[in-house]
Amino acid sequence: MFAKNILLFGYGNHGKFIAQGLAKDGFSVKVVESNQEYYRQAQEDGFQDAVHMDVTKDDALKALNPQDYVKLVCVMDDEHLNVFLTLSLHSLFNESYILSISDSMHTTKKLKMAGATKVIDLYEVSANRIHNILKRPVATKLLEGFVLERDGIGFKEMIITEDSFLVGMTTDEIDFSPYGVLLVGMIDEELGHAFVFITAGINHNLDCDDTIVCIGPRDKLEAFSEEIKKRERSI
Amino acid sequence: MNQLLLSLALYLRTSKRYKKSKNFVSDLLNNSSNPYKKYVDITIIFLIVTSVFILIYEVKHPVPEWVDNYDIYFVSFVFSIEYILRLWVYNDLSEFVTEEYHESQFLQRKFEPWSVLKIGLVEKLKYMVTPAAIIDLLAIFPAYRPLRVLRIFVLFRVLKLLRYTKSINQFVEVISNKRFELLTLLFLLFFIVMTAGIAIYVLEERLNPNIEDLFDAVYWALITISTVGYGDISPVTPEGRTISMLIIVSGIAMISFATSVIVSAFSERLIELKENRIVEQVNKSRSFLIVCGYGQMTKMFFRQKKDALHNYIILDKSLERVETARKDGYDAIHEDASRFETLNKFNVEHAKITILCLTASDVENIYITLNAKSISRKIKVIARVNDISIISKFEYAGADHLLMPNRVVNTMVHTAITQPTMYKAVHAILTGKSLAHIDEVHIHEFHSLVGKSIKEIDFKGSKLLFIGIQREGKFMFNPSTSEHIKSYDILLVMGRHISINYFNTLYAGDI
Repeated sequence: MFAKNILLFGYGNHGKFIAQGLAKDGFSVKVVESNQEYYRQAQEDGFQDAVHMDVTKDDALKALNPQDYVKLVCVMDDEHLNVFLTLSLHSLFNESYILSISDSMHTTKKLKMAGATKVIDLYEVSANRIHNILKRPVATKLLEGFVLERDGIGFKEMIITEDSFLVGMTTDEIDFSPYGVLLVGMIDEELGHAFVFITAGINHNLDCDDTIVCIGPRDKLEAFSEEIKKRERSI
Repeated sequence: MNQLLLSLALYLRTSKRYKKSKNFVSDLLNNSSNPYKKYVDITIIFLIVTSVFILIYEVKHPVPEWVDNYDIYFVSFVFSIEYILRLWVYNDLSEFVTEEYHESQFLQRKFEPWSVLKIGLVEKLKYMVTPAAIIDLLAIFPAYRPLRVLRIFVLFRVLKLLRYTKSINQFVEVISNKRFELLTLLFLLFFIVMTAGIAIYVLEERLNPNIEDLFDAVYWALITISTVGYGDISPVTPEGRTISMLIIVSGIAMISFATSVIVSAFSERLIELKENRIVEQVNKSRSFLIVCGYGQMTKMFFRQKKDALHNYIILDKSLERVETARKDGYDAIHEDASRFETLNKFNVEHAKITILCLTASDVENIYITLNAKSISRKIKVIARVNDISIISKFEYAGADHLLMPNRVVNTMVHTAITQPTMYKAVHAILTGKSLAHIDEVHIHEFHSLVGKSIKEIDFKGSKLLFIGIQREGKFMFNPSTSEHIKSYDILLVMGRHISINYFNTLYAGDI
């Protein structure tokens, strides 16, 4: 499974949960840790091929062959080390997709400058949640349930394959109701790589390789993602 | 007679209306967080100001009779009502009588209400001799006015203002904290003035035509020691002049001493006074936020505010962080939110309070949550949870919303890897950076949507995506189009701000 391998730096506060979540979803995760204790913990938790090394050494980083992984995730507990690591990885492997998390607003900027492809800012997300809770408590609680919980209602993205019956249709034409799911938005490859919400009011033409995001009960989402691979709609 | 008194007391004790009205009046007069108190205050202040204005105007101009009547009868009437009400709510006589009755029943002794009634009346009398009550009483009497000298008693009405101006109260409070120093100084002043007065009287009474008696001598001493020196009386002998020099020097020393005592008293209390002012200010609003802890999360929260926050206050245990918050331009006070007294200072009764527990420590956050909920269940608490394993404890403590930064971030990282497109959508919604929002439409009892079925509502026309209904705590995802909307439903919709606003203006409003 070449497309699903992740190189995860850090098995501390965040790394541990991320690694376990990814493994559950069928990703192959290789853990790299500089802290002896965390490294041992990773091994105990079943990440047998975890590596214990000094992440500040370029040679050691090169030896890991990061270019073979789809994504490099930097979630070291020490934020200074995290920024340094992001910078090293970016300078050594310019093409790689680097995802880092930031524990403070100053770090976010530094991580971006260091070349992280995507930075997730812990405080930004949380502070926004407070605003959301104050403004729309019910919607926030529900939305969080959609994102956090593994069962019940959730979001799912699906890629439209070449043979799908959806190819050639417009978003307004498709009746999603029989499937029990709702279309939230899509990435229209024709219009660049930006995500467009369905509520933007533009009628999109669905093509092969477009990605759609739907919301619905998990089982219905699964069924729907299987359904759209077919040439003819069954319902 | 005893029986009559008892039945009256029992009737008053059990009457809910009596109790309610007494509590209402007491709250209105004494509780500064009562929203209506400010109207009472403004009325009284208006009466005082007009009354004093009339007094001044009258000196040179004749006033119409109705103005005089207003001043003498109306103002005095209002003030006497106020005086009586204050006396009434000061304590409860019926409580004394009924308690005595229950005790006598229990101990099987003779019921004697008069002795306890006396205690109650003595308490009321004690209230009557407090400076505030005396001023209130003197401010009532208009009878003084025909006598010109006694007209100055109207100025008691000015003194009445003391009750309504917080800053003077604080000034008095600060001064009374330095009672000991100031009393020592006063005693010293008295001693020097008397000594110098007697000395000048003895030395110059016969030689100085301006000094006729001891009162003149003491008056001269006080005018000299205060360095005012009118010059109407001045010493004529070398001995007298020597005494003048001595008391002038001691006067300068005393004035500087008094000034320094007062200044130091203020600088000691300055921060506290400032903080009290902030608390009072925020207590005036009907709904406000109490933010506990000024760390990264709080900073980010304030930085992100889209529309300026007005009604908030930051509490932090660390003086250093409070200083930082003040430097950043926020209203912060140095208080421990986990203490009962701290949260109890706020207008829990009349305002809608939301507490944000954003300190970095879970223990602290739980404690604050419990503290807030123990004061009033009405207080809404949004708490930050760092350790995911103790979520249940926060739920037991009664937190209304939980913030789990670590869990949210972990999920986001996970989603960013597994479903990058969905991540974009969710991240955009969560951080509010996109055009699309998920919002809620509250259906009140008289909302025009009540009773309508979903297919009758044109979500698509307003460019909204209808996601579901939250009804009685349960969420119905994408319900069938024949489902009818009920009162108190919350509709979950997704769309742009303008779409949501448009939808609200289109459908909101009464049937």
